[in-house]
Amino acid sequence: MKEAGDNEIFSIKNRLLRLKRDSNRWSLITLFVVLLIALPVLTIIFELFEGPGESWVHIVKNLLAQYVSNSVYLLIVCSILVLLFGVTTSWLVSRYEFPFRKQLEWLLILPLAIPSYIVAYAYAGAFDYGGSLELIQRYFGMEFTRIDIMNRFGLAFVLSISLFPYVYVSTRAFFLNQANNLLEASRMLGVGEFRTFFKLILPLARPAIIAGMILVLMEVLNDYGAAQYFGVHTFTTGIFRSWFSLEEPETAIYLSALLLVLVFALILFEKWQRRKIQYSNERTNTERIYRKTTSKRKQFFIFCIVITPVLFGFFIPVAQLIYWAVLTYSSVFDYSFLMLSLQTFGIAFLTATVTVVLATLLIFSAKWNRIGFIKNLSRLGVLGYAIPGAVVAIGVMIPTLALDRWLMDVYASISGNTTGFIIHGTLFALVYAYAVRFLAVAYNPIESTTLKVSNSIPDASKTLGVGNFKTFFKIEYPLIKTGMLSAFILVFVDVLKELPLTLILKPFQVNTLAVRAFEYASDERVMEAAIPSLFIIFTAAIPVIFLNKLLVRK
Amino acid sequence: MLKVTSLSKSFDKGKTFALKDVSFSLKDGDVYAIVGESGSGKTTLIRLIAGLESPDNGTIEINDKQVSSIHKIVSPEKRNIGFVFQEYALFPHLKLVENVMYGISKLKNKEQRANEVLELVGLFELKDRYPHQLSGGQQQRVALARALAPNPALLILDEPFSNLDAMLRAQLRNEVFDIVKKSGVTAIFVTHDTQDALAVADEILILQNGKLVQKDAAANLYSKPSSVYVASLFGSTIQLSKEIQSAFECPLKTDCCHAIRNENITINDECDYVTHATVLKKTFMGSDTQLFLRLDNGEHLTVVTKHNHVDERITIGFNSKDVLEFKE
Repeated sequence: MKEAGDNEIFSIKNRLLRLKRDSNRWSLITLFVVLLIALPVLTIIFELFEGPGESWVHIVKNLLAQYVSNSVYLLIVCSILVLLFGVTTSWLVSRYEFPFRKQLEWLLILPLAIPSYIVAYAYAGAFDYGGSLELIQRYFGMEFTRIDIMNRFGLAFVLSISLFPYVYVSTRAFFLNQANNLLEASRMLGVGEFRTFFKLILPLARPAIIAGMILVLMEVLNDYGAAQYFGVHTFTTGIFRSWFSLEEPETAIYLSALLLVLVFALILFEKWQRRKIQYSNERTNTERIYRKTTSKRKQFFIFCIVITPVLFGFFIPVAQLIYWAVLTYSSVFDYSFLMLSLQTFGIAFLTATVTVVLATLLIFSAKWNRIGFIKNLSRLGVLGYAIPGAVVAIGVMIPTLALDRWLMDVYASISGNTTGFIIHGTLFALVYAYAVRFLAVAYNPIESTTLKVSNSIPDASKTLGVGNFKTFFKIEYPLIKTGMLSAFILVFVDVLKELPLTLILKPFQVNTLAVRAFEYASDERVMEAAIPSLFIIFTAAIPVIFLNKLLVRK
Repeated sequence: MLKVTSLSKSFDKGKTFALKDVSFSLKDGDVYAIVGESGSGKTTLIRLIAGLESPDNGTIEINDKQVSSIHKIVSPEKRNIGFVFQEYALFPHLKLVENVMYGISKLKNKEQRANEVLELVGLFELKDRYPHQLSGGQQQRVALARALAPNPALLILDEPFSNLDAMLRAQLRNEVFDIVKKSGVTAIFVTHDTQDALAVADEILILQNGKLVQKDAAANLYSKPSSVYVASLFGSTIQLSKEIQSAFECPLKTDCCHAIRNENITINDECDYVTHATVLKKTFMGSDTQLFLRLDNGEHLTVVTKHNHVDERITIGFNSKDVLEFKE
């Protein structure tokens, strides 16, 4: 209902007046954090105008087709495999009663504790000449038949078996929260279990399934360690090759930009597929979930299906690593290894702290700023997780190098002396890049606990004369600290597992467990990689179990 | 003490207005009720007054000091307004006494003041409990004590009784406003229930579709409503259409709109205007009976009467002094 005078209220002059009135320091801080997070991507876009390097033509002619076909092949095959592993297992554990169901329910998440490249090392070793498979076959007096997995199907299998829990977790959440009533309704209407699954449950679960699948595909595009070890050329290995072997940053940037296009296509696809679907409000389903009990033979059959991905995704690779660790611990496990572990945990601790602080700052400064579009802009801060680590690293390296050159000039003109790099090649650049990539990891748990606190609680504090900042520490922080703690743990674990970004940005004298494992594997000393790998796995497994407890309690 | 001038607020950049061109002023020490249906803009209005939202146009002055305008906005923590939220918004991790002391941490005798207001609301004995250990009515009174502790210039209560059941509601309503009157603070409370407003307010502001349609004392609102909408807030009202007028043979002015309150229609023939009607259906409603009537000229009419025994054919009528007249 527009009336005369409305136009005046919303005239450009009045809009600007209100914008001026409503802008506060929190608007600026929100913008600053968003820009900080977006800087690497913006850098890559701007650097495109500098033109490609000399090898670009060569790469386009000879290698690009391979990069594209391998990356697309991995995306497709991994999609199929994680659907198979993730949806089947989540359906079986949420609908059927069978022995060890409760244990398997959280064991199925454990493969997430192992980084894909470590699974790759374990399988490559096990299937190689003189590997565990050969030993076992010979033990049983069989002829050794070698299975070659050092190809792109092997890579797809390794990636899928270590990443399928993303689909398992998101799909199981749907099955547990929402499918129960629907199933009962369908049963009342006399529709069989099998038809109900394909006609009713699967279409409704599609957004949940695809949300999990997109996370898997982001990780597939992010992977460097496994693809490099298996000798499969993908975009990410191409970026590393142009950067380190060809020493052509411009070419690496062009490849990064192409990879970004692929990533944004995935994001758009995800948005498009749930364009009309409104997630029903997350209700805590306290009703007992009805699970079918079947005959003993069927139960055993279901048990076998469910345990298979856990065996292949966790126990077999871990057993292989433990075997290697026993063989190599005397040469690997020494004082310098302990220092390396401490250094890794130190970096992870620092990064997790910085990232949690940044995510909290972004959430609350967006809340305290009074300008609508800046509030919406703050959601951009979480896009970093979609961007492959190698791309983030390159996007961080370019501006930090430029800033350092400028700082060196300033320093030289003031003091007359010269100085080395201040930011580039230091922990600062590394932690910054981690924060860009893992901000979303911290953002989501903090935001969801913040949303549980009714808005009127901080409003009440304000009407009692207490400002935003003090309200946060006195009222909101005590109410959201569990969310902040789980955010901290998640980032901590992700830093431990991270490889490509660390390889590019780590300071010379600094090392992490992940990089050490990678170095051993690249030096044809994959057995020695076992101990650093096991360190990562066992540290990562603790929060995986801990957070699953949280999930179950929800 | 509070002056609001041409206040407007839109949440969709001017497509629709939650509040449109609202102006009024309030006197010190009185109790005001803001009445309106959901979506009428009442919550937006009080949030604007408290500084929790910023207006798109217009100004708000508290004690002659401008706190909201298109140029400047004083943040809520600097307005000295007490606010009792609909869901109470007690801090769940603080004890009652800590909740009450929260807004007066700078006061020297904050403990004494907190005990004082807890005494006032009758919850002194429970001061070391946590909010979740209290009943809804008790939480309500803690929220009131917390808002009163800093001696606010203005007290705002958002739907204070909507979360309570009917029995508790009437009792607590009187308790709460006894406390408010005792403290002498100017108070505004928002409600969708006219009965609440009539029971305790000195003056009532009526909002409809984001506009202030009338502001007056309760008795005046009843006798001189500015629209059919306002009249209907005080009980069912029948609009006197041309057809109904012709049935009662009461030619009224044509440039006006007329209505009659249901309670002013009676079953007898000693009124200024009368007509015969056939009772189509009777619905027993306890002390009242609802009648579905067909007037002799074919018009239908529903009236409520105290009579329990009604014939098939009746004569109904009303007096000219009870006819409400609106310029529309």
